[in-house]
Amino acid sequence: MGITITKEQNAKAASTIAAAISKRFSDGGINAESVSHSNDKKLDFVRITCEPNQWRAVAKWLAHEGGVGHCSMVTGTHFPDGPAERGWEVVVHLMKWPIVNVAAHSMIVHDPSKFKTEEVPMEFEVVIPIAAGDSPSIPTVQDIWVGADWNEKETWDLVGIDFEGHVNMHRVLNPHDSPVGFHPLQRQHKIRYHDFNEMYDDPQGFGRKPVDEGRVK
Amino acid sequence: MAEMWITMGPQHPMTHGLWTMRVKVDGETITDTEAELGYIHRGVEKICESRDFTQITPYCDRLCYVSAMTWAHSYVMAAEDLLEAEVPERAEYIRLMAAEIQRLASHLMWLGAFGPDIGNLTLMTWCLRDREMFLDLLQELGGSRMHYNFPRVGGVKRDIPIGWADRMRAKVKLFEHRIDEYEMLLDESTIWLVRLQGVGYATAEDQLNAGVTGPNIRAAGVNTDARWTNPYSVYDQVDWEPAVEKPTSVKGADCYDRYRVRMEEMRQSCRMLLDAIEKIPGGSNTHYQPGDEMILTKAPTRAPEGATGFSTYECTRGVSQFYLKGGGDSRGKNPYRMSIRSPIFITIPYVAKSMIGYKIADIPAIMGSFDPCIGESDR
Repeated sequence: MGITITKEQNAKAASTIAAAISKRFSDGGINAESVSHSNDKKLDFVRITCEPNQWRAVAKWLAHEGGVGHCSMVTGTHFPDGPAERGWEVVVHLMKWPIVNVAAHSMIVHDPSKFKTEEVPMEFEVVIPIAAGDSPSIPTVQDIWVGADWNEKETWDLVGIDFEGHVNMHRVLNPHDSPVGFHPLQRQHKIRYHDFNEMYDDPQGFGRKPVDEGRVK
Repeated sequence: MAEMWITMGPQHPMTHGLWTMRVKVDGETITDTEAELGYIHRGVEKICESRDFTQITPYCDRLCYVSAMTWAHSYVMAAEDLLEAEVPERAEYIRLMAAEIQRLASHLMWLGAFGPDIGNLTLMTWCLRDREMFLDLLQELGGSRMHYNFPRVGGVKRDIPIGWADRMRAKVKLFEHRIDEYEMLLDESTIWLVRLQGVGYATAEDQLNAGVTGPNIRAAGVNTDARWTNPYSVYDQVDWEPAVEKPTSVKGADCYDRYRVRMEEMRQSCRMLLDAIEKIPGGSNTHYQPGDEMILTKAPTRAPEGATGFSTYECTRGVSQFYLKGGGDSRGKNPYRMSIRSPIFITIPYVAKSMIGYKIADIPAIMGSFDPCIGESDR
């Protein structure tokens, strides 16, 4: 049988870490909670909500005290119609894995049934709302996790959220000669094929009306 | 000697796709590198904001042209999380088998392309011969040889055909012997050993910090695998253990270790397939009609604003992740934002930097051993 992390191990670890974060940052108003997926087979994860100016403190604590060694994904989102305090949002996904260097000619084969609570792998989702405006920015964590480097480059390139203090920021997916200020995932840019908006904006295709026009399911 | 910059790519055989590596050399020694991606950026994340959740699956197939099934599977898991859909047990088993067959096909494509990098052209013909067997199996499921559009939100498109189980068993058992043949060919080849051993060292902690995942990190001696650390599907019910390799040096895994771990991973996939086909609920020689509740449940089509869906998935090259936000256009039928984590997008800059100190002739061996795929990294 394959090895796995049990629901109980995971729930205990998630609530322990969430409580530790809430305790450490209680005066800063940072909220950490253990969140369950809709599918109850999937394991819980820890969701942290913080302000842009608190992000580096949280990141340093997670990396040095929380054992979080891996920045897996950075997602920027543009909310042009959102409230003034959430015109943009950055969601950072982090991973805690029991990975250490091994000696030559040896290996570590983890047996999850023997894990202590602090060794259980855990996913983190850090939600950072940014105030509406033309120049959204949050501090970089490039120096804490090397893996955040290109994730942040990509977020700036596609969404236009700036990372203060990021060294060597440049376009990674768009051409280097893209116009300054052009970030395609901002919502004011619409997909079109020459002038045929319908062709791509209408999921039913070619200007036909959707079959459920006027009905709300 | 004066240092100079050499541009390798975008059409260099080492790149395994379209990207550029600029290499600064001092004589034969690499002193600095810069990676440049984005040649085949198609804006999948933007396109998907105007597609409904079913229409997105074919785009995710096209993210990686050698591992379409795993990417579509990863996406539908995130969509199921967002839309709160349930998946029948039989469909989970079919998805698991489809993903593992795809892993075999993808690793064979990697080995086949890696051979000529090292100077062993025979390997390419052998690997493509065996890959055909697995593409045939996937074609029976999805109807196509490359982009299957097979997983659905809430299940799978079609059940396994009558007789598929026997064909699969026969092919997997044959392939288990073929893995031994490959090892006989390669592990005693002086060229193979000389070019792979002692180059491209990467330690586990460095790779973790730099965002490298999957077989590359398991080659460095740790059995971390998202199939058990972030369990999904029915991997806890079938017989397998994560492939892991003992690195030959304190400096971490070299190219040879990364080759060994993928060979072991193919063996584990075979083991999983043979076990899953015995345990599949409803029997392996039964065929349920498309849409039957054994293989597909009806899933909601709209997600409200504020809802999020997330999946972590052990893809063939590392951990892929999808993050979806609900409440997009067409009254919630489209995602507001779809974000993709590509393992190779993060790996390429790390590998480029880890080459510093080695010789120019080592570049194809180091790059190839990390299994780059540009389709997924450029998106």
